[in-house]
Amino acid sequence: MQKAPHVTDYLTRHCADDEYGCLRGFEAQGGYRAAHTALREMTPQKILDEVRQAGLQGRGGAGFCAGLKWSFMPAPEQQPSYLVCNADESEPGSFKDRLLLERAPHQLLEGILLAARAIGAQKSFIYIRGEYAEAARVMQRAVDEAHAKGYLGDDVMGSGFSHDVVVVRGAGSYICGEETALLESLEGKRGHPRVKPPFPAQRGAFDRPSTVNNVETLCHVPHIIGRGAAWFRSTGTEKSPGTTLFGVSGHVVRPGLFELPLGTPLDEIIFEHAGGVADGRKVKGVIPGGLSMPILPAGELDVAMANEFLQEKGSALGTGGIIVMDDRTCMVRTACVISEFYRAESCGQCGPCREGTAWINDIVTRVERGTGTAEDLELLVDICDGMEGQTICAFADAAAWPVRALLKHFYADFERHVREGVCSFSGSFQL
Amino acid sequence: MATAAGVACEAEIVRITVDGLEYRLHAGPSLLAALDQIGVLMGEVDIPHYCWHAKLSSDGSCRLCQVEIDGQTGLQTACNTPVRDGMIVHTRSEAVVRARQTVLEFLMLNHPLDCPVCDQAGECKLQDYAWRYGAPNSRSREPRRKLEKRIDLGPGVVLDRERCILCRRCVRFCREIPRTGELAVFGRGDRSVIGLFPGVQLDNAYSMNVVDLCPVGALTSRDFRCKARAWQLESVEGVCGGCARGCNIWLDVAKGEVQRYRPRRNDAVNDTWMCDAGRLSYAEIARSDRLDKAWIRNQESVLEPVSVASAISEAARMLAGLVAEKGAGVIAGIASPHATNEDLFAFKRLLDEIGTENSGLAVPHGEADELLICAEKAANATGARAIGFEDARSLLERIRGGGVDGIVILGHDILTAGYLDDETLLGKIDSVILIDTHQSSLMRVAQVVLPARHLAEKAGTLTNCDRRVQRVRPALAADSELLTEGEIVHRLALALGLNGFEAGYDLPRVSRSLAAAVPPFAGITIESLPSDGAQLVSDGGEKGAVR
Ligand SMILES: Cc1cc2nc3c(=O)[nH]c(=O)nc-3n(C[C@H](O)[C@H](O)[C@H](O)COP(=O)(O)O)c2cc1C
Ligand code: SF4
Ligand code: SF4
Ligand code: FES
Repeated sequence: MQKAPHVTDYLTRHCADDEYGCLRGFEAQGGYRAAHTALREMTPQKILDEVRQAGLQGRGGAGFCAGLKWSFMPAPEQQPSYLVCNADESEPGSFKDRLLLERAPHQLLEGILLAARAIGAQKSFIYIRGEYAEAARVMQRAVDEAHAKGYLGDDVMGSGFSHDVVVVRGAGSYICGEETALLESLEGKRGHPRVKPPFPAQRGAFDRPSTVNNVETLCHVPHIIGRGAAWFRSTGTEKSPGTTLFGVSGHVVRPGLFELPLGTPLDEIIFEHAGGVADGRKVKGVIPGGLSMPILPAGELDVAMANEFLQEKGSALGTGGIIVMDDRTCMVRTACVISEFYRAESCGQCGPCREGTAWINDIVTRVERGTGTAEDLELLVDICDGMEGQTICAFADAAAWPVRALLKHFYADFERHVREGVCSFSGSFQL
Repeated sequence: MATAAGVACEAEIVRITVDGLEYRLHAGPSLLAALDQIGVLMGEVDIPHYCWHAKLSSDGSCRLCQVEIDGQTGLQTACNTPVRDGMIVHTRSEAVVRARQTVLEFLMLNHPLDCPVCDQAGECKLQDYAWRYGAPNSRSREPRRKLEKRIDLGPGVVLDRERCILCRRCVRFCREIPRTGELAVFGRGDRSVIGLFPGVQLDNAYSMNVVDLCPVGALTSRDFRCKARAWQLESVEGVCGGCARGCNIWLDVAKGEVQRYRPRRNDAVNDTWMCDAGRLSYAEIARSDRLDKAWIRNQESVLEPVSVASAISEAARMLAGLVAEKGAGVIAGIASPHATNEDLFAFKRLLDEIGTENSGLAVPHGEADELLICAEKAANATGARAIGFEDARSLLERIRGGGVDGIVILGHDILTAGYLDDETLLGKIDSVILIDTHQSSLMRVAQVVLPARHLAEKAGTLTNCDRRVQRVRPALAADSELLTEGEIVHRLALALGLNGFEAGYDLPRVSRSLAAAVPPFAGITIESLPSDGAQLVSDGGEKGAVR
């Protein structure tokens, strides 16, 4: 794990500094200053308005406006309401939250304090992916430190606001990153996404109003409150302000994390920041936002990495996990690997998802092995149609999109397998 | 009783349009629940569904119930879309038709298609919907999933995992109704299977309801397994006689026998459930100890078979002799809480017209719970009390004191209820006339034994623990020698020449007289009784004697 991104900005500037992980080191860099001021001088509504004006988009995949989501929370009452930090990061191709958790735990806690204050939550849960043992350890230590210093617990920083943070470890399931499955898991139940409505702001964790936010989303908050919405809007695009952590993996010279403004062109990220494709090879396709996002062919890499532009190309920013594939890559084999993941991870509630993910995987595996037919390829598109938008959660869409996009942009690969009855991409990895 | 899906009674009434027809219904619940509440779901409005069930929490996973709603993008699941005023719903649009086809194709992908050997065939929602809404052919070339086909979940239920469509009704039932939670989904994605938690069995008192709930043949009844095909069964409305709840049931008949009981929905009584003991109690109808002929004790003190007519004459002769010799005060009657209101009313009138006040009622008791099972193990104790039968204990005292010389006994509850250890005490009575469905040791002391029809073989009404009067209909044709208790005592009354018994037993007439004579029954007659029953009029006046 790298200690800091190759390119840093406000979120990750001090990540390389081991001291930054401790409360003292964090405060030495101006940490908790925003919280000190805001908790004492700003009303919850003022905090919420600032974040809303900043136009902060959720960084967990769906890109929903954070301030707007917070405004759905009912007015605080006697019964508790909760903030839940989604640290389940399991999307293949995404590894940004891990860095923020391990290297800047107090930044997240400060974000949590501010968000919790804005929505009137009495308690927060940080739900950390089971495999992220180190992150959980670091977070727990930070929580203890903050408690000892009076930054958590009763009367935080003498503001009259009380708040507790509970660190919870998941048990290893991709679906538990979906916010309502996460809530079920948090309650000790099976990680099955809930039917909506009710939405978490109506009935979330333990039947109480809750807001679920991604780690990175919350990490932006202290900076917005510290420096103002206008400052935040000075980077990124009009519709997608701020920076984000792009994670680049695959066939590039310099894989890793890059904190760059939203809207940075994809080809700039790949060729300038990540050093281009190794061995002088060419790009064949790029998944721009984590495994679930539709792949882009080599010809479309000039796109600005923000939802409004990616959507025009039929894809989306997702979690900003960029997976680069060079020209040796067999896209049928890619489809096999991707579909196997979704087959393995579907929670299995919804008929179309449970059966569709398996069916897709069976068919593409057959095509890869050379026994596919032209009808199979048409059928794959129909199966995607039958899954998208037809289920309880967005997992089924996430499973269908990549396959549909691979077929759309790399149909020739599929056709060749059908025609030749064999996979002729020798350089590609084995199934 | 309380319902799981809860009907918000005070909810505002709204108007919605479904396929061009307007409906007025409660705002708040889901579209499916609201349509179900007004009784049009799967009648006039056809929205196929698997995971949703009127009495369970909503699940939203099968995705079959999708409909189009004006103003909303994409399709919505009717099982969890709340009803709103002015909603315009389409259930037959092209998008809906396509969505149903797709969902069914998914669910059929791995289905074993073993309908020819499946008990559910003919009453299977997968068959029905695939036929009605599915595409004619499967496009899958992949091998079907192989899973265990016979898992004994408990004493009553067998699971076939290949047939399961994972609607999770069974799981929710166990969690929400008996609250025993034996079942769960294990594994994830296409490895999901229904199973038992380690170390438990599906053996709660209501376990077999999962068989009715299961829309496919994944859960079958061990009792009914391979006994009859669904299309051979004729279903008759009835009421379970197992306890005072009087759960509404279907009696499924084939080959002249009741093959099974199944719960029949009545939201005021049993929702859609019944207990396993009640469900399996159909077996008593054809049990080998059924009484099927009349007997008279001969000179040698041995019971010998006779016609019903001669048995009745003999009984009348005995009773008439006793009355003439010692007066009506030596005659007594014991009523059965298993008999119908009409039987008991006829019996009460017989005793009244003979001129005796000696009567009693013995009700067997057992375990009760908070769901359906009542402590009174008979279907009509409440009716018997309303008609004027009081506890048999004081009558037994009288018998012990030697004050009874002739007695007419309906049933053998006096033994099963534990009032008497055996028949010895009754042996002291000169003339014991026994009218019963099954043999018992009371026959040892009976001078005359008359066989009576079982609940499944007759028409009549029963009054449940909540004072609800419910109707039973004959599911089986009974032998002409087998009469109801009501008709037997009526004939006995005629043979005795008693007042007010017209020739020929006419059930509707008896029912009308009951309504006229016993205040709680005012207005309730067998012919006007709705199929979900009606409440007894007053709550007090329990011992409403014949007017
Ligand atoms: C299948 C699936 C997996 C998801 N996994 C994650 C995850 O690991 N981390 C995350 O933050 N959001 C994940 N999400 C998105 C969350 O449901 C939710 O939108 C997000 O946590 C909201 O936070 P944000 O508004 O701050 O982005 C996932 C969504 C789906 C459908
Ligand atoms: S869409 Fe898939 S992952 Fe999401 S709830 Fe349905 S079955 Fe589970
Ligand atoms: S066994 Fe039947 S009721 Fe249970 S989940 Fe499967 S199909 Fe549904
Ligand atoms: S009945 Fe609505 S999703 Fe199953």
